[in-house]
Amino acid sequence: MTSSVGTVPKPVEDVTHKRPRIVTNKQRVTWVTLALLVLVVAGVLWGLSIGSQQIPLSRVPGAIFKADQPDELIIQSIRMPRVVLALCVGAALAVAGALMQAVAANPLAAPEIMGVNAGAVFVVVLAITVVPSLSGAPTILLAFGGAAVAGVSVMLLAGSGGGRVSPVRLALAGVTASSLLISLTQVLIIFDENSADSVLFWLVGGVNFAGWSDIRNLLPWLVLGLIGAFAMARPLNLLALGDDMARGLGQNVERTRMYGSALVIVLCGAAVSVAGPVAFIGLIVPHIIRRLVGSSYTVLLPLCAVGGGVLVLYADIASRYVKPPFEVPAGVVTALIGAPIFVYLARRQKVTS
Amino acid sequence: MSTAIVAQHVRRTSLAQRHPSVLMGSLCVLAVVLSFYSLSVGATDVSMGDVFNAVIGNTSDQAAQIVVQFQLPRVLLAWLVGIALAVSGSVMQGVIRNPLAAPDVVGVTKGAGFAGMLLLLAIPGMPVVAVVPAAFVGGLAAAALVYLLAYRRGATPVRIALVGIAVSAAFEAGIRFLLVRNPLDVSAALIWLTGSLFGRSMSSVLEILPWVLVLVPLIVIWSRKLDVLGLGDDLAAGLGEPVERTRRTLLLFSVALAAAAVAVSGTIGFVGLIAPHMARRVFGGKHVASIPAAALFGVLLMLFADMLGRGLAPPLEIPAGLVTAVVGGPYFLYLLVKTGK
Repeated sequence: MTSSVGTVPKPVEDVTHKRPRIVTNKQRVTWVTLALLVLVVAGVLWGLSIGSQQIPLSRVPGAIFKADQPDELIIQSIRMPRVVLALCVGAALAVAGALMQAVAANPLAAPEIMGVNAGAVFVVVLAITVVPSLSGAPTILLAFGGAAVAGVSVMLLAGSGGGRVSPVRLALAGVTASSLLISLTQVLIIFDENSADSVLFWLVGGVNFAGWSDIRNLLPWLVLGLIGAFAMARPLNLLALGDDMARGLGQNVERTRMYGSALVIVLCGAAVSVAGPVAFIGLIVPHIIRRLVGSSYTVLLPLCAVGGGVLVLYADIASRYVKPPFEVPAGVVTALIGAPIFVYLARRQKVTS
Repeated sequence: MSTAIVAQHVRRTSLAQRHPSVLMGSLCVLAVVLSFYSLSVGATDVSMGDVFNAVIGNTSDQAAQIVVQFQLPRVLLAWLVGIALAVSGSVMQGVIRNPLAAPDVVGVTKGAGFAGMLLLLAIPGMPVVAVVPAAFVGGLAAAALVYLLAYRRGATPVRIALVGIAVSAAFEAGIRFLLVRNPLDVSAALIWLTGSLFGRSMSSVLEILPWVLVLVPLIVIWSRKLDVLGLGDDLAAGLGEPVERTRRTLLLFSVALAAAAVAVSGTIGFVGLIAPHMARRVFGGKHVASIPAAALFGVLLMLFADMLGRGLAPPLEIPAGLVTAVVGGPYFLYLLVKTGK
């Protein structure tokens, strides 16, 4: 080793001089991925062990595979679905947010801001009010309809001024349409004489009532949505260059937008109909992940899926500390985290008018 | 003179502008008639005769008791809250020269609601009277925060609205957090989340009354100053108006009115936005006419919302704030579309 030091100093220097950018970027992706995975594992264990019945961490891993004792039953039938659903819902909403920001070319586009979530919730609550026995798959299909109608209306309303839709106008139109739909939802809930729990659930969303059936209902749509989204990473990267450039590179821009929007509706509709409108996941997770790993959708989308899951998982864990032994919806916690970030993003927007 | 603002909203003088007192009078009559009708709507049916008996002081039978104990405070509150919110919105739109400004758009209502609720829950034995000052501080802090955050070489209407909505969302998250930590019953929670006149008593009326009695006349007297401010800062200063001081004082009044309304009725949305617009449409841009008119429209909106909420499916109560949101949301969207053109 010592003899070779003097002979090859230059290439070594060249390499270290040339490579840092690429290496750090790749390293960052690796580190972020690793960190997120560690967070997932830790969060799952933590989420399984805490609650009104504390279960020591040492017994958690065993309970995942067999359920003989009461503690293990609690884990398998109550906490496991909750943890899994948190990961699924977070993934769906975060990926939907990233897709939406790409499709609308708009940093403030997100399912909860564009009224997509509120539309889905309204239709689901309406359906449950009219046909109380309704649940599962049909509700999800109805949620797609609500999400689609609300999202498209907001786009049309915001764009009716003519020209390119400014982020600020889109956000204002979306937030107002959301609040309108949320008010209508509340009226329905009052008519239905539901309890405070269900009011809170449909207003803020959470995974504290999760059961395995919810996951069975959500999973096919989630898988479809995620695979579709990941497959679209390349067209989305091109779309980020601007419409003209993307067209010049042979993209069918309109088709990309349409597929992207359809995936958003599938992901949001499915997530919202099982977990309510968990706030701000779709807005903040893509922004945070983009900060960490850059804006290539090939890495952004998968990491958003994991990151969204982590955020909902930890929000759900935090929500169990809010007022033990009671459990509050995770959406309360995500709103507390997300709203300041929304303020920050709103503040950064340039207004041309 | 103040054509800049007038031209934006009213393109030709209407009948109402030529004979404002006639229309104002008929609005008054309408509000009074609606109030009487509203007294008779509710979970128990009360005949108009009983209502009349009760109002003239003949409170012997049970129906009259119901009217005086439960219905009367609500109707009075609808008047006071409607006036407070509408006048607050008028002043805000005039001072910021922003058609999208309103106590709920710039975060005042949610900020006031958050502070009021924080106080009530943090200090359990707190007298409700103290909620008004707390709500005032909260509302003021929220408005200041929105203005500071939105300010970047000037603050445009749309930007203030967006930052206001974001800050409102933050305060709403706070309200929800407080709610789940300290679960009140559902109706109390809904009152704070959406605004309602349900279950209010005469003491609530007395809490908001002094604010309306003092501030509204003051603002009407100062309405010329609002007109002058509408000419733009330079021209207003040229006319001898201490622009910044007047603006700050008027905004303070506006926030105080909104906060008082929130303290007694929760966060009722959109009244402060719509009522001034309706008034300006009908009566033109002169504040001496449009502020009282806005107050009347505010009263009508509140009476209508409260009545609809009570009468739609008794004994269920739909909070008035939900009704105003359902009516006001589309109107805000319409304004947004219009300001973009």
